[in-house]
Amino acid sequence: MSDIAIAALLAGTILLASTVSVEIGLSVALIELFGGFVVGNAFSIDVPSWLSFIGSFAGIVLTFLAGAEVDVPQFKREWKASISIGLVSFFAPFAVVGLLCYYALGWNHRQAEIGGLALSTTSLAVVYAVLVETGLNRELVGKRIMSATFVTDIATVAGLTILFVSPTIWILPFVLVSIALIVGLPKLAPWFFSRFGDRVIEPEIKLVFAILFLLMWLGDRANSQAALPAFVLGLVMSGHYVAHRKEQERMRVVAFAFLTPFFFLKGGMNASAHALWANLGVLALLFVWKMVPKFAGVYPLARRYAAPHATFTTLLMSTGLTFGTITSLYGLNAGIIDRTKFSLLIAVVVLSAIVPTAIAQRFFQPRADRRPDLPGVAPAPVGEVG
Amino acid sequence: MPFERVLVAIDGSEASNRAFAKALELVAAIRAELTALAIEGPLPVYAATIAEVDEVKREKDAFFGGLAARAREQASAAGVELQVVVRAGHAAEVISSFATEGGYDLIVLGHKGHFLRDHLLGSTADRVAEHATCPVMIVR
Repeated sequence: MSDIAIAALLAGTILLASTVSVEIGLSVALIELFGGFVVGNAFSIDVPSWLSFIGSFAGIVLTFLAGAEVDVPQFKREWKASISIGLVSFFAPFAVVGLLCYYALGWNHRQAEIGGLALSTTSLAVVYAVLVETGLNRELVGKRIMSATFVTDIATVAGLTILFVSPTIWILPFVLVSIALIVGLPKLAPWFFSRFGDRVIEPEIKLVFAILFLLMWLGDRANSQAALPAFVLGLVMSGHYVAHRKEQERMRVVAFAFLTPFFFLKGGMNASAHALWANLGVLALLFVWKMVPKFAGVYPLARRYAAPHATFTTLLMSTGLTFGTITSLYGLNAGIIDRTKFSLLIAVVVLSAIVPTAIAQRFFQPRADRRPDLPGVAPAPVGEVG
Repeated sequence: MPFERVLVAIDGSEASNRAFAKALELVAAIRAELTALAIEGPLPVYAATIAEVDEVKREKDAFFGGLAARAREQASAAGVELQVVVRAGHAAEVISSFATEGGYDLIVLGHKGHFLRDHLLGSTADRVAEHATCPVMIVR
């Protein structure tokens, strides 16, 4: 199949995924992953280099956007109470999955690290959606869960950048430029955005993209990965975006209209139905290996810091999607894991987005009104049921 | 007094508008308390980004904010004091349980009349009538 035929097929899939997403109220990312899985397996399409390139860049843009979505003032208020949950939520599955992949499945240590990292994540967006749905985002427990999720995410991107570095001389400029951008961009942004921003030609988005490409290039030369500086850059820009919502909206429009669909399609296309079918037992094991340490590690802390919603909190901290996908794709692109291992990891990541969320919502969802702030709309009490 | 606390379900549809108008008439006549209950569908679950969730939340906020404001205007014009509550979940389940928990003695709701869906699955009105612990008035 020619490149243009693949592009047309994928564009149609992206369009279909977005319309289905709106109709059934399911995340477009999951549908894009599924669409990529169907297209990739039904048409036996190998991921072309242009898609791989766009997907890699989209992963970095998603990481930047995830950093920019962090509520830094809230994080500063709650980080002490949340750091133990967040770190245990990262390290428990990372250690257990990593060790079991190494010793029980015979993966090499780098593959085991990718497995541990991909399955250690907690999905900020899944957690956020459920907290808003239940109204807990306004309660102390919800704020602590969000902050704990930030900690887990930071640990994941830090692990992705630090664990796989095999530094060259370029590590120095990579680190120095990263620090300079992290310190300098929030200072430069107000002037640059007010002088050149708010135009159809979008110089402010081009500035961010240019910086992310620079980080990717330097990271590549340094045999490292741009995830951590991209996330921290998003983090330090979050205050600016809070004050300039339209800029963030336009950035999201560009990312979600063109870039991220290719990222998730690429993820789905690389997942092999045959590999999954042939390794259903391993798939189940990996899923259990993610869930059990998450539960064993987080639940005791959740009982202390997030009572009376400890089970609900633990289930939410067991979810994963975006960073799990980013980590798995990094492992595949870097040649660390093969397509079979990637298929297993991405399937567990998707399952970990769906299963704990569904259980939390079905059996442990606190009852609350999520709209007490609407004019004339009465609040309702929060209390755990089920 | 036959009814002291009346609950009316609203969703902005023609059927619910008719039910709301009828509930206002009834409450004004018998001087009962009126609560309007709106049911939201779920936010996108399993989202990959906060932006996805925020966008739908903003749309829903705008829709239900407008719905609440219009309901209060109509109630004010009819001389009725109105409380508006928005709850998330499955419409029939939430209406029934909210009425029971709130001690309402009458539920008023419209009937939309989707022929195929009603015959296959039953309408929201049918299901509320089946599960409610108080009288139900269905407005056609």
